[in-house]
Amino acid sequence: MDRNKDRRILVCCGTGCLANNSYNVYLKFKERLSEDAEIEVKPIMKSTGCNGLCEKGPVVKILPDEISYFKVTVDDVGEIVEKTIKNFETVDRLLYYDTNSGKRIKSHKEASFYKGQLKIALRNIGEINPLSIEDYMERGGYKALKKALDMKPEDIIREVELSGLRGRGGAGFPTGVKWRTCSEYKDQPKYVVCNGDEGDPGAFMDRSIMEGDPNTVIEGMIICGYAIGAHRGFLYIRDEYELALKNVRAAIDNAREKGFLGKNILNSGFDFDLEIVRGGGAFVCGESSALMASIEGNVGEPRAKYIRSVERGLWDKPTVLNNVETWANIPPIIINGWKWFKSIGTEGNYGTKVFSLVGKVKNTGLVEVPMGTTLRQLVYDIGGGIINNRPFKAVQTGGPSGGCIPKEHLDIPLDFDSLKAIGSMMGSGGVIVMDDTTCMVDVARYYMNFLAEESCGKCTTCREGIRTMLHILTNITEGKGEMEDIELLKEIAETVMEASLCGLGKSAPNPVLTTLEYFKDEYIEHIADKRCASGVCKNLTSYYIDENKCIGCTICSKNCPVGAISGRLKEVHVIDEDRCIKCGTCAIKCPRGAVRIGGMKVEA
Amino acid sequence: MKLKIDGIICEGREGETLMEVAKRHGIHIPSLCYRKGFEGLARCRLCLVEVKEGSRRRIVSSCVYPIKENIEVTVTTDEIQRMRKNIIMLLLLKAPNNSYINKLAEEYKVAAPERYMNPLDDENCILCGLCVKACEKMGTNAISFVNRGIYKKVSTPYDDASKDCIGCGACAEVCPTNAILVEDNEGKRKIWNREFNMVKCSLCGSYFATEEAYKLMQEKLNDNEEPICNECRKKIAADKLKESFANIY
Repeated sequence: MDRNKDRRILVCCGTGCLANNSYNVYLKFKERLSEDAEIEVKPIMKSTGCNGLCEKGPVVKILPDEISYFKVTVDDVGEIVEKTIKNFETVDRLLYYDTNSGKRIKSHKEASFYKGQLKIALRNIGEINPLSIEDYMERGGYKALKKALDMKPEDIIREVELSGLRGRGGAGFPTGVKWRTCSEYKDQPKYVVCNGDEGDPGAFMDRSIMEGDPNTVIEGMIICGYAIGAHRGFLYIRDEYELALKNVRAAIDNAREKGFLGKNILNSGFDFDLEIVRGGGAFVCGESSALMASIEGNVGEPRAKYIRSVERGLWDKPTVLNNVETWANIPPIIINGWKWFKSIGTEGNYGTKVFSLVGKVKNTGLVEVPMGTTLRQLVYDIGGGIINNRPFKAVQTGGPSGGCIPKEHLDIPLDFDSLKAIGSMMGSGGVIVMDDTTCMVDVARYYMNFLAEESCGKCTTCREGIRTMLHILTNITEGKGEMEDIELLKEIAETVMEASLCGLGKSAPNPVLTTLEYFKDEYIEHIADKRCASGVCKNLTSYYIDENKCIGCTICSKNCPVGAISGRLKEVHVIDEDRCIKCGTCAIKCPRGAVRIGGMKVEA
Repeated sequence: MKLKIDGIICEGREGETLMEVAKRHGIHIPSLCYRKGFEGLARCRLCLVEVKEGSRRRIVSSCVYPIKENIEVTVTTDEIQRMRKNIIMLLLLKAPNNSYINKLAEEYKVAAPERYMNPLDDENCILCGLCVKACEKMGTNAISFVNRGIYKKVSTPYDDASKDCIGCGACAEVCPTNAILVEDNEGKRKIWNREFNMVKCSLCGSYFATEEAYKLMQEKLNDNEEPICNECRKKIAADKLKESFANIY
């Protein structure tokens, strides 16, 4: 039993796993271990941040055995303790099932979901207790700060500049350049700001970092403060991120206690402190100038950036604002040097990027890969392919400001420049995978609807342009579209893109323009044929049964919620279009694929 | 510093916006949300112009763009004209029955697609924000923007009668589209869901300001004289002028 001396049981308590009851799994482990008299030396128990594979949570890792269990329930704890803790055996049914090889895998590190990953920003997440600053320090935390405080500010900026790190918030502006410009302004006070107002649908990387490794963000910010000569910083965190707020708050308190924040940090003579500002729930406050307006207590509206925030930002003072993931990259760059960082990724796009892989993909979760990893590797190797092996249709990257990428571009390297070249953008790194059951016109409509509510509404083009595009797209999805709408949509989209004030408005038409470019045939089908082939737009959908394929199994009629399907056993079934509510259940349940999707019902 | 706007050499001071310099030199840049004396709001987007800075060309909002030495500005290019037309079309969809916007549409030869226009829509506000700015300048801050996105509007807190409003009507005065309703009737003024008592001119007897606005004016001017309306003040000034000239000749 001595072997238990070094053993650690890590229970993932990231948001995804927590929602699946992981905290009770953690408590059950504690209870079970303390009650068991046979276990003399108790393993160390830790609740950690997100392990990435949220789809298969709660995740329990046992180290140094390198055993990872997935979908662990409270009832599994007894068996894990008996078999693994006491007898060093694995509970095979809880091991990772690799969809690519069809095998169960003992260590998550060998699983295809994790194999292609390289963790820099997420390096500690899932390995440490986020509330413990000691855990962070044990893994090298705050060493970068100590090193930085011995360097000249100029040398720190050079290090960041040479590393080629670009802002992870979306636009990819070189971080070092931002720091240098700000350091050159002598106006005081200066500010350091962390943008933790992550709002893209489907994106949760910043949340995960703040929840799972808050100290790395804080460390990055202190280093920047020292480099540019700022003494005060703000973390703007969206209020819905309750766990992130709690963990960052605790990390700030702990850092202050250890002397990493406050007056005379580590006897260097440098003062720096941090405050949390809670976001009020406006998506637009993720835009840097709106975020600063919000911190100042004003309405969260962006301003024109002819004068950059590095010169006049928060309260008109020089300000460096970076995104959570960017901050998390700073300590490793200081420790390992720019050459190391620059050796990862592709020309001009160095390091890694965290993607939140969601949608119709088998392994959803958080993924960190070197820049330049292709979309195909992300979706098929790491993501395990499309659910039920349906055909891939598109991915949507970069949130509402991003575009939809069709299968022709599956081999595109994921980096700032390549994505921009095809009309999409990196954005925060949300990747939403769509299969053939997704209607691209409806996707464009969805994003316009999102932005109609989330644009700040300040400038005419963004507000009225989005309103009108939404109106047109709604018409098309309801079967009221006309061919001239396509041209009108394009005309408005281009003006919104060119004439809007801020980044939100300038990129808002991307979902419309990319779907128009890559999926124009779907628009035409909706308008001219009054048909939505994916069966999403209900006005343009009808279901009928292919008589050559129907085997009369009666499954469809048994599952139809409104009794719209008639037919006897072993006879061809028929759908009564007048009663059909177009829920699509028959199409999903039919074992022979005999239920077909037709267009709008034509009145006889 | 010197800069060129549509080929005309203009002189400007550091910190001035392009719009201010153009206005001073009598060069017209279309806009709905700019007003002299107010800082640029950058909301309406009509004042976009092309700026050539060295070899770099870009489109900027002239009402907030701080001028730089030697830039060359073109107020209207084909591209900008197209944008302005589209912006006016969007405004027309927003306020289809507003006479000012219709006049603008006529001037720019813009027609909005009828299928997307609601002929019964009585919206007049185009959210230029001048009223909010004027209220802020008065020091009252009774109205502000409410909500965001397509639900954005200008209103008082919770759409209630604002206790801060003084009924001065500055908001209506600056509104380019006449969207703010001011009803003056028999010594009462109705604005922003609130009714105010008005003050009579001690000379001509006409109602000319709300009691609250008059009080603020007195406080600001440190003036305790009898209330006199604008028209009568003008008349008094003119009479004085006449008198002084009469003495000369």
